[in-house]
Amino acid sequence: MFNDKEASKIVDIIKNFARKHSLWVVAYGTGCGAIELPPTMTSRYDAERFGIRGSATPRQADVLLITGYLSVKTLKRVIRTYEQMQEPKYVIGFGSCTINGGMYWDSYNTIKALDRYLPVDVYINGCMPRPEAVISGFIKLQQLISEGKADGAKRYRENLEWYRENQRKVIKNWRMPEYNW
Amino acid sequence: MINMNKNLYNENQTIEEIKNTFHTAEIKLQRESRIIVKLRSDLIPPFLSYAKNYLAFNHLAHFSCVDWIEDNEFELVYLLYSYEKNIVVIAKTRISRDKAEFVTIKHLWRQAETYEREIHEMFGINFTGNDRLNEFILEDWDDIPPMRRDFNTIQFAKDNFYTRPGREDAQDVRETITKKSGEKIPDFAKEFSVRNLK
Amino acid sequence: MEINWSAVLGIVFTPVIAFLVGVTYGGLTRRITARIQNRFGPPFYQNILDIIKLYSKESNINHGVMQHLGPVFAITASVTTLFFIPVIKDSPVFTNFSFNGDLIFLLYIMVFGSLGMALGAGQTGNPNSAIGVSRGLSQLVGYEVPFVMALVAIMVQFQTTSLNDLLAVQDHFTKWIIFQSPFAFLAAILAFLGMMGYAPFDVVIAPAEIASGPPSEFGGKYLGLMLTSRSIFTFAKLVLFTDIFLGGAHDFITLIIKTFILYMIPVLTGIVFPRFRTEQSIRFFWSWPLFFGILAILVVVF
Repeated sequence: MFNDKEASKIVDIIKNFARKHSLWVVAYGTGCGAIELPPTMTSRYDAERFGIRGSATPRQADVLLITGYLSVKTLKRVIRTYEQMQEPKYVIGFGSCTINGGMYWDSYNTIKALDRYLPVDVYINGCMPRPEAVISGFIKLQQLISEGKADGAKRYRENLEWYRENQRKVIKNWRMPEYNW
Repeated sequence: MINMNKNLYNENQTIEEIKNTFHTAEIKLQRESRIIVKLRSDLIPPFLSYAKNYLAFNHLAHFSCVDWIEDNEFELVYLLYSYEKNIVVIAKTRISRDKAEFVTIKHLWRQAETYEREIHEMFGINFTGNDRLNEFILEDWDDIPPMRRDFNTIQFAKDNFYTRPGREDAQDVRETITKKSGEKIPDFAKEFSVRNLK
Repeated sequence: MEINWSAVLGIVFTPVIAFLVGVTYGGLTRRITARIQNRFGPPFYQNILDIIKLYSKESNINHGVMQHLGPVFAITASVTTLFFIPVIKDSPVFTNFSFNGDLIFLLYIMVFGSLGMALGAGQTGNPNSAIGVSRGLSQLVGYEVPFVMALVAIMVQFQTTSLNDLLAVQDHFTKWIIFQSPFAFLAAILAFLGMMGYAPFDVVIAPAEIASGPPSEFGGKYLGLMLTSRSIFTFAKLVLFTDIFLGGAHDFITLIIKTFILYMIPVLTGIVFPRFRTEQSIRFFWSWPLFFGILAILVVVF
């Protein structure tokens, strides 16, 4: 029959297949991009075809969709949401604001590069990305998962010091609770 | 421009009434249903009270602030709307930038409290009588209020937030496109090119 | 000691079959909902993928003992309920543990899962969970009353509390209890709408309102257990209703057809109806379903 390595390989394939086709997105609209999600989910573009579904709480979710600009105040909440999610978890940066600040490049209160604060697996550019672009971003994420390359959570765990340093630099009054994650 | 064909009866009557009561007010009819009233700062509370109670301007539509750093002054702008007359009265006053303090109008309109909190946070103007001027939208802000014009936003963003360096070949989109496709940049577009602006 | 191998086989295979059928029904529901909303919809095996994914997720949250036991209680209750329902009529394999007097036992054991979930959700300390639990238990009181009325009417009419006796009565389709005691069926099917938790009675897990209610703090394996339990429990309830009202089934194909038709009643109702508030749903359950339940008893007694 199989040895251990082969067996775990087969289990991994099954796991990745299931993970890939069942992406639950936490319903947390951060910026203006959240308005693109209702058409993505409903009958016009129907993301449920790919197993993409909204989930009500971060505990049940797999994907954190950062829809647009993040003010420092929101970033605090996003970090808490992200850390409450259970592994494996993925982050999709949505819109130019998450990539380089977009039209808020000179704002006094929005961060400009999301991947300094949270490990981003896939970026979708555009201002705003259309639902087609959103779905293509999800499909890219599915590819990464099936290849085993969507390792954002692992990166976050390994480089936690670096991420924390960046987060603390922006969030001046660090009053974050201790989690049991 | 004022369209003289329109019936400006309500506007003219309002202007007359304000003029008779507040002699020092500078009144300007900007266009139909827009009246700008410039007042001394100590006349603002009586004027608002008068407008609300006698001229039926019941609605405080907006309350905002402008930073005139050249004159070393803040301008407070009150927008009042009357449902009966369908007129917006814009009451403006200037206060000194050095002593940024004004009286609250929350006894006239409850919603003014929230506007005052916002202006306090964004411009650092203190409203005496308003006891809710605590932290509102900005969390943990320890710099000078961000909407003041002496606050250098770009420098602040550069200092605090990491700026991703742009791609070298994408500094000017037009040039990249012309290089790739071999097209020429048209002359009218050249003068707006990023290289020329520098 | 002599071992009844066919019973052992039944015990092993009944939950598996129940899970597969329940999960497929869940997937088909999503598909049907999608088609009605003019969407393409997920594949019918989507719920299986969801459950595999949930089992493969890490869950390192600790809120206390009951948080870990809540989903276990739920699945225990579902499997136990299933074991006391004869799945296939007169079959030595799938009769399971049904004994005389099991209707009353089923009435008790069916509530056990909800109570276990309530305890587990209460332990997590999430306010949404607490709201969901209070809503769920109020609604439980709402639909249990007409359901018990219907069952009492049937018990009085046929002078038995055993499911096997009830199955024996319905040996021909004209003698199905749905025809012999239609008011009891009406009361029970209206209570069934509430039992399944689809709209208009889904205020318990309203996702946009109280963040999915009781399971809001459960993720990963716990949620997987809950979904498994829900699939099995759905099948158990469908089989129970088939056994009581539709004369049971001699083979799996009949069973699938009958349960699917029964299942479509709450699903199709759910798609077209908006959500009731808790007090509205209780008012509903205590009006027409209760009226039909009392009518059924009156018809039987006089």
